[in-house]
Amino acid sequence: MFKWTWKSLFSQRGTLVGSALGIACTFILVIFFDSVWRGESLQVVSYPSHMKPNVWVMQSGVGNMHMAMSFIWDWKADKIAKMPGVKRVTPILYMNSVVSAAHTRMFAFIVGLLPGDKRAEPWALTAGRHIKKPLETVIPDVLSTITNVNVGDQLHIADKSFTVVGLSSGTYSSANSVLFVPFSDLEKILSSTGTYSYLLVDAEEGTDPDSLAKRIRDEVEKVNALTHDQFVRNDLSLAKQMGVDIIIIMTAICSTLAVLIVGFTSYSLVMRRRRELAIIKALGMGSMNILISVIIQSGILTLFGFTIAVLFALFVIPYIPLILPQLTLAVSFTSLTQIGLIALVVAILGALIPAWLVSRVEPATAFHV
Amino acid sequence: MPEPIIKARNLTKSFGSDHTAVIAVNNVTIDIQPGEVVLIMGPSGSGKTTLLSMLGGLLNPSKGTIEIDGTNITTLKESALPEIRALKLGFIFQAFNLLDALTVEENILFPAQLHPGGINQAQDRADALINQLNLEKRRHALPQTLSGGEKQRVAIARALINEPKVILADEPTGNLDSQTGQEVMMILHDIAREQGYSVVLVTHDPRVEDIADRILWLEDGKLGDRKQELHKWSRDPVCGMRVDEWTADIKADYDNKQYYFCSEKCLHQFNADPDQYLKQPRSSN
Repeated sequence: MFKWTWKSLFSQRGTLVGSALGIACTFILVIFFDSVWRGESLQVVSYPSHMKPNVWVMQSGVGNMHMAMSFIWDWKADKIAKMPGVKRVTPILYMNSVVSAAHTRMFAFIVGLLPGDKRAEPWALTAGRHIKKPLETVIPDVLSTITNVNVGDQLHIADKSFTVVGLSSGTYSSANSVLFVPFSDLEKILSSTGTYSYLLVDAEEGTDPDSLAKRIRDEVEKVNALTHDQFVRNDLSLAKQMGVDIIIIMTAICSTLAVLIVGFTSYSLVMRRRRELAIIKALGMGSMNILISVIIQSGILTLFGFTIAVLFALFVIPYIPLILPQLTLAVSFTSLTQIGLIALVVAILGALIPAWLVSRVEPATAFHV
Repeated sequence: MPEPIIKARNLTKSFGSDHTAVIAVNNVTIDIQPGEVVLIMGPSGSGKTTLLSMLGGLLNPSKGTIEIDGTNITTLKESALPEIRALKLGFIFQAFNLLDALTVEENILFPAQLHPGGINQAQDRADALINQLNLEKRRHALPQTLSGGEKQRVAIARALINEPKVILADEPTGNLDSQTGQEVMMILHDIAREQGYSVVLVTHDPRVEDIADRILWLEDGKLGDRKQELHKWSRDPVCGMRVDEWTADIKADYDNKQYYFCSEKCLHQFNADPDQYLKQPRSSN
């Protein structure tokens, strides 16, 4: 029976290939949107991820960076710097703002760096240099490509114009890019003095980050202190929440499409083979065997589609950012496993109506000419 | 007298209900003995195929009982019927009904997967049947590459693979030319005479009468005596075969006259160029 199941499916190669490709397209869409979502979420937290201090200190009640506001008095940074086990405290000023560059306006994270700060500055430049003087900025290289704003050009943050002096890599996200400006300029934009947004606390060797964070929380009033891992986890979780509904909707739509394609293909296979199924029943094959056969055909079809989609995910998706640098794509094993489970459900659901049709095929119709 | 292999009692089959009901088979009682060749004849629409479908457990009768090899199939659950069909019965169809995706050998072996011995134990039987029915060279061919006669020989081999008690054949020569039809008929004759299979045939082919032990006449769903004039003979204008106008299904009108054919193949040939066959018209009996 399995031989017939397999051979009859492959005897209509055009239908098989067309349907497998159709199913693959829906799975590719699911994988693609999922990888955009994961890639963007990771990119949104790229700055804190790369800084990697042992402890992040921020205003009490704040637990992350993405879309957050935080102010800490500067004397608290001095107090923390003097605590045992603290090697270095690097303050940054931070705000979310709209950046106008050429004819483009976009959201960005603006990081204000103290003069000569090497600890919190961009980790890799692809052109130009780091900021040294007032009203200079370093922008993401991808942003430069998209907006055609290059080193030496001007861009606007709030009411101030900045000159681009460097292009950084790994700091672009379509949701929020990271721009670096002098601390004093950002102070003026925020109309604040004597405050920082976040403190990057590096611990002495051998100091446990958890206990250091706890000591800071206990000894410095109205601040929150989190280990790096906890801080990034919080940020990533919030970043993911922003797109999760859209991803669920897209997954539901694409999965429904896949069910319809598998169902329609199985349905047309059954309809075309009604007579053959009647013959098989007449020869003594029970409905359950034929039902299993239809489900297997549906499963094989879905497996082909899923395999094509996985190959696409592994060998094509990683190269898409070369053509579209504004996209950050991250394919995860978890998402492929989830989509594999969805494929299994799709195969079973897609076989339901054809299976019902099979149960209704009258073996006596085998006698009809 | 041995026990009949098929005992059908008061079989009735009606389709539809109330005033739209059509009685296809009406109170038919038949016994089929082991090794017997029984021919069921009758005009078109007389209920022959419906009767055959019921005898084969493919269609439930509205009334009456059918016993096959001692098992009353009319009281069996639907789920138990496939085993009866697979092991006790072999089917031969007018349209051959081979599975297109499978080779000759695979088609023959297909019902064997339902046999307790499975396909492995059936391989020797399949080899013997392939040899007996002269299909050795076509063992790995797909059905679409076979001639009509070869297809029907494969169908016969498939029907015999599980060594059933009864072969049920519906117009087994209907899609074959006269010579191939003759060959198939002789195969059916041999399997009944030499191997002891019971064969129940529904056909219009009058030559089959020569191999039949009994002829049953079905008209308006009832078994009855064939009218005194047994046949109204015509000649197939293509092959010249004798065809009974009373029972012939395959016919065509041309030039205000009706012609009867032994097979679809002859009809197609005729339709392609009728004048070619009417230049030297063959006389009717």
